[in-house]
Amino acid sequence: MSTLSALFAISIFPGGLFLLSSGLLYEWGNRKLLALLQNRVGPRWFQPLADTIKLLAKEEVIPTGTNKFLFIGLPMVALAGGLTAALYVPLAGLAPSASFDGDLIMVFYLLSLLTLCMGLAGTNTVSRFSLIGATRTLTQVFSYEAPFLLALLGVAAAAGSWQISNITAYSGQHWLILTQPLGFLVALIGLMGKLEMPPFDAPEAHTEIVAGALTEYSGRGLAFFHLGKAIELVIGLTLIAAFFLGGLSNPLWFLIKTLALLFIMVVLQALLARLRIDQTVGLWWRYGVLLVLVQWLLMVLL
Amino acid sequence: MNTEEILTIAEQVVSAWDWTSESVRTRPNQLDVKVTSLAELHPAVVGLRVKRLGFLSAIVGLDLGPEANEMEVLYYFCPGDAAIVLRVRVPRQGATLPSLSDVIPSAEVFERELSEMFGIQITGLRNPQRLYLPDDWPDDTYPLRKDFDPSVLLAAAPAAENTPSERN
Amino acid sequence: MPDTAASKRFTVPIGPQHPALKEPGHFEFTVDGEIVTNAYVRLGYAHRGIEKAAESRNWVQNLYLLERVCGICSHIHGFAYSLAVERLANIEAPPRAQAIRVIVAELERIHSHLLWMGVSAHEAGFDTLFMYSWRDRETIMDVLEGLTGNRVNYSANVLGGVKFDVTPTQADIIRKGLTFLEERTKHYLDVIMHDTMFLQRTRGIGVMTRSQAEVMGALGPTARASNVQRDLRVEAPYAAYKDFPVQMVLDTRGDLEARFEVRINELFESYRLINQILDNLPEGELNVRVPRRIPAGEMIVRLEAPRGEVFYFIKSNGTDKLERLKVRTPTICNMTSVVRLSVGHQLADVPMILAGIDPCFSCNDRTVQIRQADGGAQPNGLSSLMSWEELRQYAIRKYEAR
Repeated sequence: MSTLSALFAISIFPGGLFLLSSGLLYEWGNRKLLALLQNRVGPRWFQPLADTIKLLAKEEVIPTGTNKFLFIGLPMVALAGGLTAALYVPLAGLAPSASFDGDLIMVFYLLSLLTLCMGLAGTNTVSRFSLIGATRTLTQVFSYEAPFLLALLGVAAAAGSWQISNITAYSGQHWLILTQPLGFLVALIGLMGKLEMPPFDAPEAHTEIVAGALTEYSGRGLAFFHLGKAIELVIGLTLIAAFFLGGLSNPLWFLIKTLALLFIMVVLQALLARLRIDQTVGLWWRYGVLLVLVQWLLMVLL
Repeated sequence: MNTEEILTIAEQVVSAWDWTSESVRTRPNQLDVKVTSLAELHPAVVGLRVKRLGFLSAIVGLDLGPEANEMEVLYYFCPGDAAIVLRVRVPRQGATLPSLSDVIPSAEVFERELSEMFGIQITGLRNPQRLYLPDDWPDDTYPLRKDFDPSVLLAAAPAAENTPSERN
Repeated sequence: MPDTAASKRFTVPIGPQHPALKEPGHFEFTVDGEIVTNAYVRLGYAHRGIEKAAESRNWVQNLYLLERVCGICSHIHGFAYSLAVERLANIEAPPRAQAIRVIVAELERIHSHLLWMGVSAHEAGFDTLFMYSWRDRETIMDVLEGLTGNRVNYSANVLGGVKFDVTPTQADIIRKGLTFLEERTKHYLDVIMHDTMFLQRTRGIGVMTRSQAEVMGALGPTARASNVQRDLRVEAPYAAYKDFPVQMVLDTRGDLEARFEVRINELFESYRLINQILDNLPEGELNVRVPRRIPAGEMIVRLEAPRGEVFYFIKSNGTDKLERLKVRTPTICNMTSVVRLSVGHQLADVPMILAGIDPCFSCNDRTVQIRQADGGAQPNGLSSLMSWEELRQYAIRKYEAR
């Protein structure tokens, strides 16, 4: 890869500009659809962008009692993690711009980086809401991460490769949702857990702990975290669509499949009440893990 | 229990202390009990509570003015349609009342209010802090007394803070 | 972390400004992990000194003051005050006025319960139910606006009766609104009784046994959900409730689920009652004259507000002003139960338990502290403290200069 094309891949497509704008648009899609289901008007299409610009223009207040370096650095690491992960996934149905054997594990790790950074950001401050929020965030990581990973590994095992591009090529011929429905379910709901969407929004349950781990964040830091989440939404949807829904052969299919997944997620968000953190952990370890293990058992038996 | 039965039971309960109190039916559904000795207040309330008439609806403080130099405290017990009123008279200076919160937990909030609004000291409160009034409210200023003068608050108000006024 | 003693006690402040509270109140919950080990409450952030203010206004002015004790159940305060004054003056409002007062009171109950359902669903993170119940609440707000001219603070009462009549056209609008709401309420009841995820947040949470409820002096739907038979509309019927009896809605379980079900079932009872009254609205005058001076005496009035019993004590000294007014709203009685019940629960359940009593801090707190924030003078020539008359003149000037 020449320097120029690498620069293009990082700053314009699939990283950088494309990813940020699609992240914001998918976030809008999420909010708008949820609003429609809840009988509200919902935001205009540029609202997430406007929010981000507003936040970036605002003063960043650094509370006393925090490690300044971490306070500023963590949002950047979180965002960078998301942007890097994008290079390895088949965004917009095109081949990933970078690829190596075992990149699935790395993407998976990079996606967890955001949540980890949020947890660390919460524990870095002395705010009581942040501390409780961080504890919940990290608790939640430990609950959904294992089933989520196992669900994705099921696909990798079926494809016989740990490389995303190979798995996509394999799933392009097989609709794995038919052979691994349980894995698909766990992966989709795992993504909701990762993004702290309702009903897994206990870490940022604002009626209890205001904004959870990010309570003390304002301005740029908050914008970065929000962007990171928006990006994670796109990457997560891409991965699941590529793995379970018959691959992403072209941009149109990418759009249709990811939007279909987004719609399912929105419906679930609208239908379900928030789970308490103990209920979240219980749900994942009692049912989530069980479902994935049954899926694996079926794979081994068949 | 209908209202008549409630009031009859209540009369029996308070008549156990009738050498210090007198009870009158002021209305068909209301029993007024003048408690003349503070020591009888607590036992009378225990008695009502034991008979399941201990629903304390409110504690009302009345300042009878500087001339009378007395205050009256009314304990309204309202089971069903009936109302049983225990009336206690206390001096305006240095008044003390026993807390009922050990018998009736909900009495605590009423007593804290009574204490800050009328300056009646309540003994035996779990948490004697202010309930409604601000923390920087001047001491010995009791707003629901008849001789309360709001200008005390202006004198006690902290010096100018540089908060811009919203009004225009 | 500071010293050991402090680090062992981890307190989570909720309020005075907090997303879970739409009104100011301050709670401190000591938590051990997620479990609440101690709770403390501080009120008074919305204390406006209404009881003192009432002593300086005349009988009629007080009616408008007292409607502003609470924004949600404003009618019940006007209702209780008018009833107390009428009883002191030994007059009775005409039957038609009594019926209209009850209609507005029940409409208010519907509005309050629907509002409550939305808020509690929101506390549980169930925003869809919140949005829908508040949308449907608009129906009742429109009905109230059509009837009284206001969405809140309806000002339906005057001393001796009511201000407006319910015409057959209005009655039809109300019936139509209620028919729509009845269908919707059936759906909500179904959701609340059968939505598994929501039940996880309500079933067995904040359980208050009957004896606990009695001892803590719980009121209203909170008490009735614990099977305490305490509903003044049944126990001590007032106004038109004598002629149009209501059924008390009880539940034996005492948890949040029961509180939801009791309130929703009360909605059906309110729909039925309003329809019944509208069909049999007594004819006659709307109000009677009340003398300017009210005979000396003491009077208590207890009415069933949406949240439970409101207690009014009025002492008159025979002049055109009252001697003493005491307002006791239901929230303060139920607050004891929140503080006690939250101990031992998860932090996540606390907002739900708090919302479960339908707290209303505005009712709860009733002294304005005047702070001379800017030393007095203002650039626009106004003093930062205004007398009542100054304020009135200012308002008139501002209105004329529009």
